[in-house]
Amino acid sequence: MMGLVRKLASLKLTLIGMVALAVVSLVGARTDAVDLVWTIVPLVLLSMNLAAAILTNRSFRTQTGLLVFHVGLLLVFALIGLTVATRFNGRVEMLQGEAFDPSMLEVDYRGPLHGGDLSAIRFVQRDFEVDYLPGIVRQETRGVIDIVDDAGGQRRHMIGDKQGVEFGGFRFVATANKGFALVLGWEDASGARQFGAVHLPSYPKHDWKQVNDWTTPAGQPVRLELELEEPPIVTDAAWTLRRPTGGYRVHVQAAGAEIGVVSPGESIELPGGRLIVADLRLWMGYSVDYYPFLPWMFVAAMLAIGGLAIHFGTRYLPQAERKTEAVIQEAPDGHVIGA
Amino acid sequence: MSLVLEQQVALVAAALLAAATLVRVWAFAAGRSGDRPTFALLMAAVAVLGAMIAGRWIREGQGPFLTMYDVLLSNAFSLGLLFLLVSWRLPVVRSASLVACPVLAVLGIWMLVVPSEGVPLPPTFDNYWLWVHVGAGKLFLGVCLASMSAAALLLLRQRAADSRRMAMARDPEELSRAVWLLFFLAFVFHSFMLVAGAVWAHSAWGRYWSWDPLETWTLATWLLLGFILHARATFKGMPENLGYSLVIASFVLAFLTFFGVPLINNAPHKGVM
Ligand code: HEM
Repeated sequence: MMGLVRKLASLKLTLIGMVALAVVSLVGARTDAVDLVWTIVPLVLLSMNLAAAILTNRSFRTQTGLLVFHVGLLLVFALIGLTVATRFNGRVEMLQGEAFDPSMLEVDYRGPLHGGDLSAIRFVQRDFEVDYLPGIVRQETRGVIDIVDDAGGQRRHMIGDKQGVEFGGFRFVATANKGFALVLGWEDASGARQFGAVHLPSYPKHDWKQVNDWTTPAGQPVRLELELEEPPIVTDAAWTLRRPTGGYRVHVQAAGAEIGVVSPGESIELPGGRLIVADLRLWMGYSVDYYPFLPWMFVAAMLAIGGLAIHFGTRYLPQAERKTEAVIQEAPDGHVIGA
Repeated sequence: MSLVLEQQVALVAAALLAAATLVRVWAFAAGRSGDRPTFALLMAAVAVLGAMIAGRWIREGQGPFLTMYDVLLSNAFSLGLLFLLVSWRLPVVRSASLVACPVLAVLGIWMLVVPSEGVPLPPTFDNYWLWVHVGAGKLFLGVCLASMSAAALLLLRQRAADSRRMAMARDPEELSRAVWLLFFLAFVFHSFMLVAGAVWAHSAWGRYWSWDPLETWTLATWLLLGFILHARATFKGMPENLGYSLVIASFVLAFLTFFGVPLINNAPHKGVM
């Protein structure tokens, strides 16, 4: 058994593992040829190699700093594994006035052992604004959400570039992705009304195409285009994106042809019902991430760096200091170089 | 300091770095030390670069963290300063200015040809960990430059037919020890840069690692540094020259990561915009 562990502890294997990790990372991140999931293979190889070396290699018994570094490194590898298994990454677009609902989330990644509970998250998106400098350079984002507690009470929380919000380990961070949303009503033949919102493309990134396709509850595909009377965007001066208060109109197209222009509060007859333009608001895009082991990863990484510092102080520095003293004695003016 | 004045002062800084290089190379060709004039010019260049950074910082109200010009200016300063500090603490490294000065001169001249207008920092840059991350990166590259310069000098020394000229690298054993001492220290700073960068990314964008080109190349550099230190410990009989060549290779990779990736990608990190 120990023989096998010694073999596994081979330092040549470490070199191979490092090259493999570098190659998989570079190829995986720069091309589609390899999925980054495969970094797990060299990481597992290095972890086994490292664990075996920590058990058997004599260098670690005499060099404490080196041992601490490698134990820290092994912990980081293990925590990366745990993070891959448990992390969650997603995105959500929140309309002003809307309450968060987990079904709105677009999931980018959900680890197989992810155990977070999204259903307990309750908040309502309120107003926000984003400052821009001349040249459309994004500056500060300021926003407000109301966090709803178990008793139904609401608590104000500010959202900003340096201020996300966390619910049970899920971190919501406002992104550069935000824009306008048309709040629409639909009245069917029986007179029953329902409301919903159509989010338009990110603003000001796609300011020239504030258009989106939508299918009415009666199954009619239409294209809606927003026309702002006074678009807030200014290229050569500072401006602020906020909930629009000025006039606007909605161009409605069906089968490639414009069938009407609707002002706020007005409606248009469509097959099977009536489309009402109720309101114009903003939506904010949040990234939603869950990393339960991240604080521990930081601790392990700092432990590893501490180990490196100890190794530097105990192995490298003493040699250099001894030698430098000798040189300085030899040439007191410090001018030691030169023919 | 107005932008126009800053541009003029930049010319002076680049000229001082170029002059330090010329003096050093001339001294080498003449078989002389050339330490005093080289280091005097280098100190003057670093002082001028420091004044430029201070003036720019006051004018723009933000540190040099964003544009290619920011990166070149701040690194010409920090690399120069660190080389001076290392040469002061480890006098044997002074001779390596033969290699370090041309690198600094390249940064100084490059700085003259990129747009120097300031660009406002995105709000996510206003973060304590950014300072730590950038600071650790500068420490890494500065110490790595000193290590690489000493390694290159040792390689040159073996190639040089004229032993008199190479008498400047008089104590190759001590210089070699300095190469590895500095290289290890570079590894420590690089590791810390990675960790601080991850903390910043997490607090700024909610994600600690997003495989953007800069992150990926930085990871590759870190692995190369670790690989070299390991290879030296694994193959005790590894030829010295191979070791020095690998040290040079890792500086080249780090240099390309620091200055090449932002050049191609416009912004230091893609998460920024
Ligand atoms: C994953 C498996 C690994 C194993 C089995 C391993 C094992 C070892 C051993 C036994 C030593 C002592 C060598 C000696 O002085 O005789 C050592 C040194 C070292 N290792 Fe690792 N290591 C591993 C991973 C890493 C990684 C991923 C890095 C960083 C990229 C790293 C960086 C270092 C450094 C910097 C030293 C000190 C070298 C010196 O003193 O100059 N190791 N390692």
